[in-house]
Amino acid sequence: MKKLTRRELLRNNFISTAHAAEKDETSKEPKWAMVIDLAKCIGCDTCTVACKSENRTPPGVTYNVVLTEEKGNYPNVKATHVPRPCMQCDRPPCAQVCPVKATYKMTNGITAIDYDRCIGCRYCIVACPYGARYFDFGGTYEQEMLAYDEVQAPEYGTQRGKRGSKNSPTSVTRKCHFCYHRLLRDEEPACVEVCLGDARYFGDLSNPNSIVSKLAKSPRAFYLKEEMGTHPRVIYLK
Amino acid sequence: MSTQLTVEQKMTKTNKKDPLTLWYVFLVILLALGAVALAARVNGGLGTTNLTSSMPWGAWVSFYIYFVGMSAGAFLLSSLIHVFDMKHLRKVGRDATLVAIISMILALCFILLDLGRMDRFWHALWYGNITSVLAYEVRFYGIYIVLLLTELYFSLRHDLILQAKGDGLKAKIARLLKLGSKDATEEGRQKDWWMLKVLGGIGIPIAIFGVHGGTGLLFAVVKAQPYWNTALFPVIFVVSALVSGTALVTVIYIIRNWATGELVEQSLVKSLAGWMILFLVVDVGLQVFEILVGLYGLEHQEIATLFTIFTSRFSWSYWGVQLVIGVLIPILLYIISRTRNSTKGMLVAAIAVVIGILGVRFNIVIPALTVPVLPGLPTGYYFPTLVEWGTSLGVMGLGLLIYTVSARYLPMDTKANDIT
Repeated sequence: MKKLTRRELLRNNFISTAHAAEKDETSKEPKWAMVIDLAKCIGCDTCTVACKSENRTPPGVTYNVVLTEEKGNYPNVKATHVPRPCMQCDRPPCAQVCPVKATYKMTNGITAIDYDRCIGCRYCIVACPYGARYFDFGGTYEQEMLAYDEVQAPEYGTQRGKRGSKNSPTSVTRKCHFCYHRLLRDEEPACVEVCLGDARYFGDLSNPNSIVSKLAKSPRAFYLKEEMGTHPRVIYLK
Repeated sequence: MSTQLTVEQKMTKTNKKDPLTLWYVFLVILLALGAVALAARVNGGLGTTNLTSSMPWGAWVSFYIYFVGMSAGAFLLSSLIHVFDMKHLRKVGRDATLVAIISMILALCFILLDLGRMDRFWHALWYGNITSVLAYEVRFYGIYIVLLLTELYFSLRHDLILQAKGDGLKAKIARLLKLGSKDATEEGRQKDWWMLKVLGGIGIPIAIFGVHGGTGLLFAVVKAQPYWNTALFPVIFVVSALVSGTALVTVIYIIRNWATGELVEQSLVKSLAGWMILFLVVDVGLQVFEILVGLYGLEHQEIATLFTIFTSRFSWSYWGVQLVIGVLIPILLYIISRTRNSTKGMLVAAIAVVIGILGVRFNIVIPALTVPVLPGLPTGYYFPTLVEWGTSLGVMGLGLLIYTVSARYLPMDTKANDIT
């Protein structure tokens, strides 16, 4: 696929028409959303692993985690698994507080971080009600994983060279972006692709006929911490 | 007066050595320590701290709000003196302004240390975000420092002109700093006082709502942290700023006059301490409201935060530092008339408050963040590393050095006949 320059990326993000014209299947730009069916989730953590390998996140940075909560006492124990990517809130508290607008809402619904603008103040991490934001402390898996530092994921469609180079997103905040670089080449996010129980759905919420739109209307649908007023784009099914 | 001083006086008499030599050696050690820690910090990034993604803010942020508070408190004190003509307190006006400037510089040093990308600090001014409290704060800090420097200039101007006459380093510095002003008349001085009144009048709302209330607001707007998310939070910030600012000015006033062998005015110390205790009582009262509202709210995260403060392994910083040292001891010292009427007694009370407020600041930042925002996320644990302690000591050493040098070469003493 065509490599995007930073300028093109920004233009695509800010001017929806430009993006739509590029996609040219629909006149309307998609508004991405994810549905996670908790009844289907088996808590295998495959999504977490796939996410780490797709985004080559360093130690301490996990865009997706599966939160497991055990309820009750033996023998009446029930475990619930809640996979937690970034909620891509429509009213993101992180973007509200960012002093430099390094984190902002793209027109396609994704909450993005401009790694080249972020000053690393970590206000957004503090402000996120879902704990979905991680600070890149500069760690590496080089000791455990051969050639980990050789290449970094092309997050937001930008090539960032070797880990530790000038362009690496170290000492800034990072988080899930629905695998935006995969969306740009018409692939679904890595966690959705690998989910063993098919618990994750991904699609365009602005299209009423998409599977995510239909599932979002299900009586099982709910949001994490709905009372926060953040309007998440990740919808859970009970 | 203290035995320390008599020893110092003897030293000056016998070998004519600078009595401050030991003090300078101490400061150089602090700065050297800070430089080593800073080198480690710059090389290793935030990996040299014990911060994590679940505990993103720690000692540096705590020290930052501590010094912003000191600054705002000291400035408010100086402004109250100028604006409301509290003539009996005018003697500490300059100290208060200088302390406010230095504290603010330290606060900015701490927040610079805390930035993941220190090299991008200018982004904070170049870019902005109309919804970000922090973006406004950064600008308020800038305006505030300019205002403080202007205020210090007008409060020193007359004495700088007097000091500029003659030879020596002090005169040279004064000639440079008086910025060409020549008007040493009484009218000129009256004009300065009028200027100070105006600047103080502009400064009071900036300090209350912008600088320190705003810093409290920075925390209060974070809905994800229910412990911070109350409208009373910025108010408590301002009140505790007044507490710590008044306390620090009291400490500085007493120690500086001891060090220079000047007379410490007992009535002035008592008056300052009275204000400090008044602010302290209001502060504690508001905090009780805050805690009760939190407990009655039965909100899981808020209650977990309060229990972290009260019962965690670091709860000594609440019961010991914040309550015993920061509240109980100073109030007792003020109630007992023997200590209330002694400079030493009030010095101990003021130092206790300065230490106590540090506990307040750490307990604002850290316990709230140790509680996970969603069940299943890791519980935070944090204790600063040597790099964090070292840089913090270095920054504070820098502040003490700036103060010592300024107090030495600037006419900090307002002569008694100035008080009209």
